[in-house]
Amino acid sequence: MAEQGYEEHVAPNQYYDRQFDIEAAKILPGEYYATRRDMLIVTVLGSCVAACIRDRASGIGGMNHFMLPESGDNEDPLSQSARYGTYAMEMLINQLIKLGAKRPNLEAKVFGGGNVMRHFTVHNIGERNAAFVLDYLGTEKIRVSAQDLVGIYPRKVYFFPKTGKVLVKRLKNIHNNTIFEREKEYSSRLQVTPIAGEVELF
Amino acid sequence: MAKSILTVDDSASIRQMVSFTLKGAGYEVVEAVDGEDGLQKARTKTFNLILSDQNMPRLDGIGLIKALRGMPQYKMVPILMLTTESSDAMKTQGRAAGATGWLVKPFDPQKLLEVVKKVIG
Repeated sequence: MAEQGYEEHVAPNQYYDRQFDIEAAKILPGEYYATRRDMLIVTVLGSCVAACIRDRASGIGGMNHFMLPESGDNEDPLSQSARYGTYAMEMLINQLIKLGAKRPNLEAKVFGGGNVMRHFTVHNIGERNAAFVLDYLGTEKIRVSAQDLVGIYPRKVYFFPKTGKVLVKRLKNIHNNTIFEREKEYSSRLQVTPIAGEVELF
Repeated sequence: MAKSILTVDDSASIRQMVSFTLKGAGYEVVEAVDGEDGLQKARTKTFNLILSDQNMPRLDGIGLIKALRGMPQYKMVPILMLTTESSDAMKTQGRAAGATGWLVKPFDPQKLLEVVKKVIG
């Protein structure tokens, strides 16, 4: 199957984190990761958002990292952005359910949506992402137990799904443009791809 | 009389978007929250089309298709899957269970309407 620009991927970057002495997965824009093991999931967010979702009974948990495409009317329930955001959230939730999580046990902590990207034409892109994720979780009746959204700083988020603990570091001194470049590249990828999956009639 | 469609998905967001799309095109829509709920609703009335997600609590989409195909009134009714699952292995399972077609999410309203029109008019 041809790879689509919007496609969400399981995070391929895994390593051993010496600081926390634990196995870790690093997530980039457009990726997600879910596990039933005692692990650390890490990401760095500019205007993107990340939802850390876990089953509070079993400790099965995961994180995604996404932004809405710039195109699309906020009021249109079927806009490209609403459909993509819904898809990005569902990919993570489905993975959790496949690992054994129960929908009624899910709770979320949400981060990001900073106003950090000056080159976006939609200036409130971080706020749109933040508003979307809260709205989505409300519709799905998934409780939000913690949040650190919008503001001016990029964030580094450390999520320990087994316990539900999250550490957020606000990055006040950025030494290079990597975060912004990655978000920009991801955003351009979303702009050029129609948000639509394949159809096959048997 | 408007044709009736049963949409089965555990995500409230997807149910809202699918219902909005189909009702806008003049179809009558009933929502179910998982395969088990879908099966119960399908017993109370015979729909013209079933549109189902795959990954759901209690009873998944393929389980729902198998159960429906075992009911005389659903032998010939089109059943479409609308799912994040895009692998050929899953599609093969769906086809073997009796699915009429397979739509991969993210869902596109225009494509959905085209397919629905094609299978039930």
